[in-house]
Amino acid sequence: MSITERILCTKTHEYLLKNDDDTYTIGLTDYAVEQLGDIVFLELPEVGTNYSKGDSFAAIESVKAASEIYMPISGEIIDVNTALVEAPETLNEDVYENGWLVKIKATGDMAEQDDLLEYEDYKEEVH
Amino acid sequence: MVKETFLHDKHVALGAKMVDFAGWHMPVQYTTIVEEHNTVRNAVGLFDVSHMGEVFVSGKDSLDFLQKIVPQDISKLPYEKAVYCQLPNKNGGLIDDLIIYKLGINYYMIICNASRIDEDVNWMSLNSRGYDVKIDNQSHNYSLLAVQGPKADELLRTMGLDTEQDSFTIKTSSILGHKMLVSRTGYTGEDGYELLVENNFAEELWDKILEYGKPFGIKPIGLGARDTLRLEAALHLYGNDLDEETTPVEAGLSWSLPKDKKEDYNGKSVITNQLVNGGKKKLIGIKMLDKNIARHGYDVYYNGEKVGIVTSGCISPVLGCNIALAYVKNISEICNGATVQVMIREKLHDAEVVKKPFIEKRNRIRK
Repeated sequence: MSITERILCTKTHEYLLKNDDDTYTIGLTDYAVEQLGDIVFLELPEVGTNYSKGDSFAAIESVKAASEIYMPISGEIIDVNTALVEAPETLNEDVYENGWLVKIKATGDMAEQDDLLEYEDYKEEVH
Repeated sequence: MVKETFLHDKHVALGAKMVDFAGWHMPVQYTTIVEEHNTVRNAVGLFDVSHMGEVFVSGKDSLDFLQKIVPQDISKLPYEKAVYCQLPNKNGGLIDDLIIYKLGINYYMIICNASRIDEDVNWMSLNSRGYDVKIDNQSHNYSLLAVQGPKADELLRTMGLDTEQDSFTIKTSSILGHKMLVSRTGYTGEDGYELLVENNFAEELWDKILEYGKPFGIKPIGLGARDTLRLEAALHLYGNDLDEETTPVEAGLSWSLPKDKKEDYNGKSVITNQLVNGGKKKLIGIKMLDKNIARHGYDVYYNGEKVGIVTSGCISPVLGCNIALAYVKNISEICNGATVQVMIREKLHDAEVVKKPFIEKRNRIRK
């Protein structure tokens, strides 16, 4: 299964990817990054921080604009892509393999994922 | 209704990302802002700035009229020269900033900001009572193409530009055998030209410049890079860095103000007083000391006190750091070398006050 078939997306352009060990990876969709243009700055949270679904947990800036990034589901941050903070321009090439943002342990229930969209539906929604 | 320039279809065909700007559907970028920025700094770029306004002033009282509406001394403006001016209200606050060109005896052209054409023309009409002067807004009849960068001159030479002209001059010249007004001005901090042509020649000229410019590495440049280029050169953007509550002295434009102009002009008492005593606020250039970007509207602090606000901010591709313009209270300690803080996402981030422009001026003519 390709990665875009395994992710769920928010209308605010985050993706949620379930990992084999039941943790989740959160990133920004390729569409979001394309809209932002040259990414020049990224601020990520600290490991151990807890957020609720919809909380702003990170900030991103392109040459054009600043945006916030929101939690697709509730969770505790268990890993942060520090390499990406050092080289945020990586996001312009790849939002999955090297361009993921954080990994979380989910703290809410599965119902939180009900309003997330399959990638194809998300693309239709935002285009 | 959103307006389109005569080059709109060209931008779309080139794959530009289009945005609404000052009521116009304009290209913000064709590739990436940084790539386009560097193209203008290192080679040459082509801009569609047809949204800007062209207002012609003629009639036997033209000079007296212009003397009344701008602080600059237009009586000293020679034929075929251009001068950077402001349009103050009675309190010295700025209705717009403009360039005035002397095209002949009692014949001037004003190039003004797209977002301010209506306000400017209204203000000029109000002020023209009692003067024998004609104010002719021709903005819709002309397209304006800017060719900017160190290779701009060489490129236009290969296209037949046959007149020698200095920075801040305007001439009727011929390019590819077509007569047009050629001005050696711009909004990038680079050497370059602005070409004023009739709308029906705009598309052909656009294509030809890109074709002839290929060996020079030309690229079309969007409004995104236009903004980062002008900010590196610390050129003001009306609506961000200038407004009706801000005087030219406060905006750091004292260099453009004559101290000995005899004629009365709108806002003169406030402006001449501020030239001696300073304004309520002042415009500073700052360089962020970390990777955060100070953006329009962010608060500025000094010694724990809120002292001002960022009006423009972006990354500087040339300097490799983030720069901004900010208005702060007129406190003498906030000078070059001082450290201020910018509130970004509820945290204070250090920034150093630095001299403007942020980059060395490059718009002197290169031999």
